[in-house]
Amino acid sequence: MPDWLTQLLGDDLSFGLSYITNGKHLAWYASFRFTIIAALAGALFALFFGLGGAALRQSRFAVLRSIGALYCNIVRGVPDVLFFLFFPLAFEQSVEWLMSTQACSAADLAANTGTWPPCTEANWFLGTSEYLALACVSLGIVYGAFTANVIHGAMQAVPKGQLEAARAFGMHPIQLLWRVHIRQMWIYALPGLSNVWMLLLKATSLLSLLQIADIVLWADRLGAPNYLKQVGLVHPDWRWRYYLVLFLFYILVTYLSERGFAVLRRKLGHGMIRVEG
Amino acid sequence: MDWLVSLPIVSDIVTLARPSLFNIYFAAASIPIGFVFAIGLALARASNNPIISRLSGAYIYAFRGSPLFIQLFMFYSIMLSLNLSVWKPAGWDWLVLHPLFLGPLVLVLNTSAYGAEIFYGALRNVPHQEIEAARAFGMGRFQQFRAVVWPNMIRLAWPAYTNEVVFLFHATALIYFTLPVINEQKDLMNKAGELFERDYNAFLHFSVAALYYLAISLVIFFCFGLIYKRLMRHMSDKTPRSIRFAPKYLR
Repeated sequence: MPDWLTQLLGDDLSFGLSYITNGKHLAWYASFRFTIIAALAGALFALFFGLGGAALRQSRFAVLRSIGALYCNIVRGVPDVLFFLFFPLAFEQSVEWLMSTQACSAADLAANTGTWPPCTEANWFLGTSEYLALACVSLGIVYGAFTANVIHGAMQAVPKGQLEAARAFGMHPIQLLWRVHIRQMWIYALPGLSNVWMLLLKATSLLSLLQIADIVLWADRLGAPNYLKQVGLVHPDWRWRYYLVLFLFYILVTYLSERGFAVLRRKLGHGMIRVEG
Repeated sequence: MDWLVSLPIVSDIVTLARPSLFNIYFAAASIPIGFVFAIGLALARASNNPIISRLSGAYIYAFRGSPLFIQLFMFYSIMLSLNLSVWKPAGWDWLVLHPLFLGPLVLVLNTSAYGAEIFYGALRNVPHQEIEAARAFGMGRFQQFRAVVWPNMIRLAWPAYTNEVVFLFHATALIYFTLPVINEQKDLMNKAGELFERDYNAFLHFSVAALYYLAISLVIFFCFGLIYKRLMRHMSDKTPRSIRFAPKYLR
């Protein structure tokens, strides 16, 4: 730190500044990227699964309709954390089972007594980036079910007159779907989508359960009582301060996204007479 | 009967029965208190006093805007750091730091914010003509509340509140990820994880745990649906709209 800054701030403040910019803290700040990636990629996947789920629920065939309804209801009837843990494990095991059918010898498979994976060749090691990708997909699946419900409702909310007008212009059903129905649907879906986004945002705090060194894990590490042999106790249990920072961080992000959605709603609702909230 | 018990799915259902009681306990301990707090907060939010209204609004915003996972960690660490200075000298440390006390405490703080938002929304949608009618009858403020505002508020809020209760039940899964697990006091997620580590059968154990959550959620929907029917019994001309399992409201 330059001298002039130390003089300007005084000893206590400059010590504090150097403390919160030390290597461990920088690693903590860097770990916010996992949360941001999970939120954004999770939202994209959720939108994808949501559109898929809504399409299934609108389907002409009863089988597909019931698959869509089953997806929406089962996923939402189960805690998100259960699915969040289950999906990566299940995916990993399925891949390892596929690998074991190829890589393991018959003798290995016969000798195996209930351990997993059946042989060492079929072991798939998952690092942080793999877990992050799986976490994004499972967030997408869970909140896709919520999104599907929102989009399904919004598709029904589009005034029938608009669709009839489009049909009267001689639009093909597919043209009608893409040019009128889906475009008009967004404004009705937006309040619900903003709710789902808030839920998803809060679920990104669960990343540490998948061994990702995210903001929560770092807060726990940094706040734990710090004892060094040379200096003695650097600080006692400070975890509550770090969690308080995270608490405020999430409130801030919620506030910012609320503002963002308000702007989006004003822009999308331009020219609409009144939009039900 | 022995062949039935030896089926892996049946033995899992038996093993997870006791852990499911912990989830039920967490929900059952926090719902009644959370309900009372939520009503209080909603009334405070609707208060004419700007300070009370703002404070209550800030509380609701903070607890709805942050994850329960962080709230659990935060309150646990706050309680821990107060341990040596406050709880130990007072002799309360066995209670305050116990997950069976701290878990419901944080859940109450969380659910009362979500509930308050629901009840506040309902409070604002109470038909004002009915309040005017009550005033025309010469009712006092408390009488108005007792006869008009309260029943309308509960009726309007009930479907959304049902949803919140189910969400709260799902949120109990998070408690033992943050608070210490004492001996065999394990909830569904802990026990399913333990069973998984024994034989690596993720599909079976987590599905059975999910089945428990699903079944108990359905029971909650059913019971709250019965209460809703009773609340709406005067609307006999139309068949009362039962609460669907796929509710529209989001948390």
